[in-house]
Amino acid sequence: MSFATKRLGKELSKINNSLPPGIELVSADNFEEWFLDIRVLDNNPLYANQVYRLKFKFSAQYPIEPPEVVFVKLANRPIPIHPHIYSNGIICLDLLGQQGWSPVQNVESICMSLQSMLTGNNKDERPAGDEEFVRGNRLRPKDIDFYYHDNNV
Amino acid sequence: MDAFTGEAFDVADPTDWLNTPLACLMPVEQSLRCHVCKDFFTSPMLTSCNHTFCSLCIRRCLNADRKCPLCRKEDSESKLRGNWAMREAVEAFVKARDDILKFAKAPPPPPAVEKSPKRKAVKMDDAEGDFQESKRPRRSTRSAGARVKAQEEDMTEHLEEGQETEDEYIPEPEDGLVACPICSKRMKMEQVDRHLDTSCPGPDAPQPPTPISGRRGGNNFASSSRTPSSRSADPPPARLPAISYSMLKDTALRKKLAELGISSAGSRQVMEKRHQEWVTIWNANCDSAFPKTRQELLHDLNVWEKTMGSRAPTSSKAAITGAQIKEKDFDGGAWAAKHDSSFKDLIANARRTRELAKQKASEAAKEEEEKERQKNDGAAAAAAAAAPVPAAVPVAFYDYRSMDPPPSSQPDVPEAFGVNTSSTDPPPSSQPDILQLRSSQSTPGPSARRS
Repeated sequence: MSFATKRLGKELSKINNSLPPGIELVSADNFEEWFLDIRVLDNNPLYANQVYRLKFKFSAQYPIEPPEVVFVKLANRPIPIHPHIYSNGIICLDLLGQQGWSPVQNVESICMSLQSMLTGNNKDERPAGDEEFVRGNRLRPKDIDFYYHDNNV
Repeated sequence: MDAFTGEAFDVADPTDWLNTPLACLMPVEQSLRCHVCKDFFTSPMLTSCNHTFCSLCIRRCLNADRKCPLCRKEDSESKLRGNWAMREAVEAFVKARDDILKFAKAPPPPPAVEKSPKRKAVKMDDAEGDFQESKRPRRSTRSAGARVKAQEEDMTEHLEEGQETEDEYIPEPEDGLVACPICSKRMKMEQVDRHLDTSCPGPDAPQPPTPISGRRGGNNFASSSRTPSSRSADPPPARLPAISYSMLKDTALRKKLAELGISSAGSRQVMEKRHQEWVTIWNANCDSAFPKTRQELLHDLNVWEKTMGSRAPTSSKAAITGAQIKEKDFDGGAWAAKHDSSFKDLIANARRTRELAKQKASEAAKEEEEKERQKNDGAAAAAAAAAPVPAAVPVAFYDYRSMDPPPSSQPDVPEAFGVNTSSTDPPPSSQPDILQLRSSQSTPGPSARRS
């Protein structure tokens, strides 16, 4: 059993016992892909009354390597509008890249970071070049070269 | 994913304390767990920024990132120091955990217990429980009793151990000498250090049985009453140095792997990763109070190889510098200044290769043209041989005539046509032909000849 499996087992047992408000486990049927729902806790008009679905993909190197985290679009689960979230659900956040990632982060802390990333936003816009990126991108999120320039996130 | 269903939901976790009267133990337990693996510390190590992680965890992290996972401060493996107090705290807590948790989760004891809070009284109550009316089914009452007995035995064991160690120290002779902490040989205080370094034969008294090396279950921790210095007398295995892979040729690396007694199969990248993993688990094992055998380490390496060896992340220098420029606080100006010469080299290189590529392309184009021409010539010759083509004649004619000044040649054109087409009245369609011919006339001779 790899260290990723061990660690995820521990995280899962913790998640099953308790999760912070606004975060819910949807499914974790294996140690490769989990789904969680998050919502924003304050009444930011951009995200009020919305629930968003997150997909986590873990490699065998987790937590040395970050998981791949994207928003998933479903009938009742839109992609939140945010200047760092592309309309295909890909998130540009340094925490999720090899650079900003630290092994002390976990599924719960990522969810909370995303919650606060949404809460703190008041721009009703997509990233620059969203359309083009969504149309042209064939890369997995971890292979995209993001340049993290926004220090306010 | 059989591991998933089997083990995952049975993992000990700090949240076990929630919903028990001892919920206050959750933060206690959390502080005894590593932030990377979320398990109890195994060979806890202090970083130079005073954070503690399992030896293996922090070594893996530093290999990947060279930064402390908690505060992102730069650190290196060589600066890690063992956190022995934490090791003992973890051992003690882990040993006590099951019992405390059982205690915390047990239903509130019947009121009778309150009168006699001592253990013996509890035992008696339980013994009487068989004929007392009890809310719990009999089976659980019994097992509870057995448990208490087991606990008690455990306790007495502890007590005995404690007494034993205390007894050892009571008959301290007043000879002005001190006992070696390992072999108990008596000597002058100043000699102890030297003795420990050179001549100490190791522990003499019969040692408590060495615990099974490798701590798979939570309860394999050795009893905390033993001091770390009383562990096995073998000299601690030496740590392996990290090597700079870029300095090693393939054959040298292969040799190195063979010297270490690990597989030297696979590509260069795989070999580097395998060596790094081996150094990591080997050095982490050196930090352990109860080191595994080499055989066990080889087994661990094998497991690693099977689960992720080929997919391990590359932590090459190129990858690290590549990542650096993506950081938020990246100073583009300084970077440009620092690497100015390399940038210039790269640009010059790119220009040169572009020139070369251009030259090649034009050569290739010329060759192509040459072939094309030969083919065309061949085709034209063949066509000419097959049937007399009137068009070929005027071209030749005009080529020839183009040497003459255009005005004088102009009146010749209809004549020429008249002659060549052997018709007295030039057809109306000949007008555009003339224009074409005139335009071809105005182009410089060689190119006109070529077409």
